[in-house]
Amino acid sequence: MSAEATPRINAPYLSQFSHRTVRLLGKVRQLRGELATVDAGGDVVVHLNRDAHLQLNHAVEIIGKVQNDLSVRVMACSDLGPEGDIDFAAVDAVVDATHRYHEIFYEKEQ
Amino acid sequence: MDYTNNYTTTSHGAQAGLSTGGGFLPGSQTADSPSTTNKRSYGKDTLRPVTLRQLIDAHHPHPDAEYFLIDGSEATQVTFVGQVRNISTQTTNVTYKLDDGTGTMEVKVWIDAEAFGQNEGEEEGGGGKASKVVVEQGYARVWGRLKAFNNKRHVGANIIRPIRDYNEIQYHLLEATAVHLHFARGPVELLEQAKGGAGGGGGAHSNGGGAGGAAPAPGQLPPGTSLSARKVYQAIRNTPQSNEGLHVQQIATAGGLEMTEVLRGGEELTNLGVIFTTVDEHTWALLEIEG
Repeated sequence: MSAEATPRINAPYLSQFSHRTVRLLGKVRQLRGELATVDAGGDVVVHLNRDAHLQLNHAVEIIGKVQNDLSVRVMACSDLGPEGDIDFAAVDAVVDATHRYHEIFYEKEQ
Repeated sequence: MDYTNNYTTTSHGAQAGLSTGGGFLPGSQTADSPSTTNKRSYGKDTLRPVTLRQLIDAHHPHPDAEYFLIDGSEATQVTFVGQVRNISTQTTNVTYKLDDGTGTMEVKVWIDAEAFGQNEGEEEGGGGKASKVVVEQGYARVWGRLKAFNNKRHVGANIIRPIRDYNEIQYHLLEATAVHLHFARGPVELLEQAKGGAGGGGGAHSNGGGAGGAAPAPGQLPPGTSLSARKVYQAIRNTPQSNEGLHVQQIATAGGLEMTEVLRGGEELTNLGVIFTTVDEHTWALLEIEG
């Protein structure tokens, strides 16, 4: 079961989740070919795949694997529209709740 | 950390759960005869916001039971938000595979023969109606009932609809967390009263640690006290009474509780030294010095 879970994290949690598949919701800041920078409580470097179509200043939800250098390799991503439409305080609250009350969100690795 | 307090404002689901869901607690089934668990009325149904992980972990009391237990509380109808990973249309139903980041679950929507023609028309019409259709990789909200079939769980859904405002994803996850905490740790109001009595977080810790056998200060129950015990405590505290205390029947009425819950909570409070029996073993009073 735990293999199917993709915990919601933001930039400060990256180091705790290296080599794991996570969900990251942020604002697209930079697009440079195969690379992008996403602001999710701090800048995160994202390695795009061919199906990923990011738009600047849009909110995006990325499912990807955290690499050794704390960049994220995209497996899937969804555009969530202009970043102004998303309440990022609520997004941060969800990340906080995910880890504070992880019993209903994901299995913690020992 | 401001938003932690805001959870109370989204407690609509939690309130509904409190008023209708409290009846059947795991302990009550052993006390009642088995036949009462079979006769279930829809009046006891609750609609609970959940994460898929809660559905995967939900305890199924016995293979034929029509309900599951989440945080020790009976859950019948549930609602959740997830990303649609796969849609497969069968002859009798449409099966959606939903992923909400905590797990995946199959959702079956039975095809209503009469409504079928309309749905077809909608899909063909496209354009204006397109926003009503659930699509793969899109987010959707589901209302339905958790079911177990051949050791595999799925949700039989009444309604599935696409999410248009993505804030609903966050809203749902926070609501599910708030309701989970309501059942696992007790209603927010009771926890706040307990905290108030301790005079802040630090005070609670030192009181709790050094107490040993001593009775807690008025208005304060030690951490870890169960929900039923807290409810019984509040009921006794808030009901006018003589120094003989209250009979369990009065406590049940005052607190709106089931008798089994009152007895269980009362036993816990007796062991904690918070209440004591007076004229007979079913009449209890609070053991505290009125200030």
